[in-house]
Amino acid sequence: MFSLEWLTRLQTTLNDDPELGVIGDWFTVAMSLSSDHERCVLRFERGRLVQTISTPRLDTPCAFGFRASADIWRRFFADPPEPLYHDIFAMLMRVPGFVLEGDTLVAMQHARALHRAMRVLRTVSPS
Amino acid sequence: MSIEPIVGRYLNLEVGGDKHRIYFEEAGSGLPLLCLHTAGADSRQYRHVMSDPAITSRYRVIAFDMPYHGRSNPPEGWWLTKYRLTTADYLAMIRAVWQALSLERPVVMGCSMGGAIVLAVAVEYQRELRGIVGLESSAFAPGRYNEFLHHPAIHGGELGATYTYALCAPQSPESSTRENWWLYSQAGPGVYAGDVYFYSLDWDGRKTIGQIDTRQCKVSLLTGEYDYSCTPEMTRQVAASIPGSRLVIMPGMGHFPMIENYRDFRAFLLPELEYMLDDHGR
Repeated sequence: MFSLEWLTRLQTTLNDDPELGVIGDWFTVAMSLSSDHERCVLRFERGRLVQTISTPRLDTPCAFGFRASADIWRRFFADPPEPLYHDIFAMLMRVPGFVLEGDTLVAMQHARALHRAMRVLRTVSPS
Repeated sequence: MSIEPIVGRYLNLEVGGDKHRIYFEEAGSGLPLLCLHTAGADSRQYRHVMSDPAITSRYRVIAFDMPYHGRSNPPEGWWLTKYRLTTADYLAMIRAVWQALSLERPVVMGCSMGGAIVLAVAVEYQRELRGIVGLESSAFAPGRYNEFLHHPAIHGGELGATYTYALCAPQSPESSTRENWWLYSQAGPGVYAGDVYFYSLDWDGRKTIGQIDTRQCKVSLLTGEYDYSCTPEMTRQVAASIPGSRLVIMPGMGHFPMIENYRDFRAFLLPELEYMLDDHGR
């Protein structure tokens, strides 16, 4: 799901996003994406994705993350997405298998930039 | 250059012992159409409805800002009260505005929490209504309230705006969904949370909405396919409880049809307003 090739495309796409450049001044955080046995960490600094870690170990700090099965992630990446899978907030409310883990307060402090990042991420389909 | 037909004024009235200064806008002439905004928002959400000649040629469209919202002040002493909207207070305010403006047999249209309260309006006052139009109407909507909506470590305006932006359908025009984001970002501290208290904790119409007699008060229910707050299934349950109600599930639409995608919404709304105007047999 989160291959090195996909992480590279994601980094390019996110860092080309003009909106994150506008709203991302305080978006300095590390977050994870997990799918079944896969996990990666995205490290943002001031709205830019500066590092992707495809096999994070215990020495990789991470404030929060999104965890879901590969099937749920695939439905999230579908274009167009089906109702209830079209947005992280929709899934957090209506898709029990989509979980926000870690420090949810930190996640919601970054709600605007985080939401934008996940919107952009949704357009980078895994190969 | 153009000037829109919408005119805004202030209404001073007393409700439940509190004096209120209420802002309302209107446009058009004809059968009164009283519009109720969503939680944490204001009457600007109805600007397209109030600027649509297909509607204003036959309806006097009125939208007001609830106390604490938009340009309506909170009541005196607000700083000593935690804002928590209740079904009773909400109903009383709608009734007070309705009576103060002398609206005769109006159609009442509301969205989200407004779509919930129009069901209560119909239960209480169906003999005095032409009908209700419920946008994203649910009889019971648990699960929306959370403490982060009003939290000192979180920008409530950005969280509320972003959360509601997510309630729009992916197909809706970007400029319109962003406009709704902007309106939401301007809510006072704790106001969205106080409204969601009504919507998600206080409101439960499941046992009463069956009392609505559609021979007296017409009922049209329209819900967006992508609404995850009030899902199509939740509105189907409302429709099933009200014999004679009309139900439209709007493809490619989210939780805020009148502001997120008015171009597509009006194709669903106009037939329902036509239905409300039809006085055959009454």
